[in-house]
Amino acid sequence: MTSTHTQAHASAAARKAAANRVNAKPGRKVFVRILRCDGPGQPSRWETFSVTIERGANVISCLQQIAANPITSDGTRSTPVVWDSGCLEEVCGACTMVINGKVRQSCSCLIDDHAPTEGDTITLEPMSKFPVVRDLWVDRSRLFHNLKRVKAWVPIDGTYALGPGPSESAESQEQRYVMSTCMSCGCCLEACPQFNVEPDPAAWDTAFVGAHALNQARLFNQHETGRRMKGERLDALMGTGGVNDCGNAQNCVKVCPKLIPLTESIAVIGRATTIHAFARWFSGK
Amino acid sequence: MASISPLERHAFLLRRLHSLTGIAPIGLFLVSHLLTNSSIVWGLMDSRKAVHGHGGVATFQHEVDFIHSIPFLLIIEVFGLWLPIAFHAALGVYYARSGKANTARYAYQSNWRYRLQRISGYVGILFIFYHVATLRWGWTFLVPGGATWSGEAAASTMALALQGAETGITGAGLAVSIAYMLGVSLLVFHFANGLWTAAITWGVTVSAPAQRRWGFVCAGIGAGMMLMAWSAVIGFATLDVKEARGTEQSLQTGHTPGPQIAETLPQLMPAAASGGH
Repeated sequence: MTSTHTQAHASAAARKAAANRVNAKPGRKVFVRILRCDGPGQPSRWETFSVTIERGANVISCLQQIAANPITSDGTRSTPVVWDSGCLEEVCGACTMVINGKVRQSCSCLIDDHAPTEGDTITLEPMSKFPVVRDLWVDRSRLFHNLKRVKAWVPIDGTYALGPGPSESAESQEQRYVMSTCMSCGCCLEACPQFNVEPDPAAWDTAFVGAHALNQARLFNQHETGRRMKGERLDALMGTGGVNDCGNAQNCVKVCPKLIPLTESIAVIGRATTIHAFARWFSGK
Repeated sequence: MASISPLERHAFLLRRLHSLTGIAPIGLFLVSHLLTNSSIVWGLMDSRKAVHGHGGVATFQHEVDFIHSIPFLLIIEVFGLWLPIAFHAALGVYYARSGKANTARYAYQSNWRYRLQRISGYVGILFIFYHVATLRWGWTFLVPGGATWSGEAAASTMALALQGAETGITGAGLAVSIAYMLGVSLLVFHFANGLWTAAITWGVTVSAPAQRRWGFVCAGIGAGMMLMAWSAVIGFATLDVKEARGTEQSLQTGHTPGPQIAETLPQLMPAAASGGH
């Protein structure tokens, strides 16, 4: 069940993109403006490149053109722009960046949708919530660290065979499927006003865990074997930086490329922690 | 592992108490407070009150007298209002500091409400402090015209504190009245939006359609409260102070307008209060 807001938002953006695509002519020149940085702690600078757009060009193919001929639009020789990518089909999350001010995957970002006319500019920035490695490549370690905080896995390791697990109902499988499509891209974190840069890894455990981790906690709490660790997950999410640090801005669900009902997952965890807290108050130690 | 602060040890309890205090007692008080104050307008519809002059003034005085008749009022005020508000405000500021608004990039309606919730919290603290300091603690140096609010001449002194002069609204009075309008509007928004987010926090509304439906309910509650808040501010900011005094004197002396104004009377006599109605 996806949010009606998400669908409305996605369809409005899709309508505009489709309209742009009809008018876009191959062979036109488009400016690609990139926020560059030589390495961690180095200052950032803007560089603009002029790129000839082929039919079906995406942000990655533009970056490849720039890498082959790294000369800025004012004729200065520069260096190839560094970016991270993997699958090139919007399932790995590695190429996530901020395009024209909004976070998304660059592989699925078609130039025709965003810069349909000769001389249009498309702006690329690295995600701002993670440390920059170089140019558009960021270090998403904290995202994965936060998945460890909520024990986002199924406990199956042991010293003897545990036998077959309990069966999963078809209904639960269907509910969990969309939650499982999370590719840890970081869009929800980039758009979240409660998730902000934290350079000190020692402070990660008490800073907001993020929508992706809350959704994964819900996914594994609902899994028949995963639910054995439900209490531990909820304990972790009741602490500082847990579910209560969510400010309900609900940007996460609007930018999620997989249309995961993240705000619903947050509310499910909210309800679970309410019940967990009362249970612990009355029957726990 | 380093020692953790009590704020972190009791993180969950404090977060949920922060949410709870916003609804009860603070939110429930806000509803009743606006209902009382808007009686300056809805009291006009009560024909029984009109015999004393201005029906709104008479009804508001009746409401204030009722509140002042509640036993142990100061204890209720301190533990039921001032401390919960101080707790909610202090924690609210502490929590709000962890966020960084990004409406410039993500101008979604819900993101704007997130931002406005924090702005209204900050402004609300200042407004409540001014409101309580001037009208309850008697910090008259902050009141235009230096009026002191008196429970025995509730409407006329309230109107004077908002307008700045007996002869009508002054420049400073207009500024204070506009500040009141802004302050109460932001607080009503803060409560209505807080009611919406609290339902998510506690896990009452889970699905997106449920959150949407509850959003309409909260918007309705907010609209109703906004109507009461605006009625109250506009009602007092436009009230004729002399007419209000006449009504209050009529209430106190039992239909006979006397030369004394309310402040000079030693105390509101219970006989006069009950006899007046």
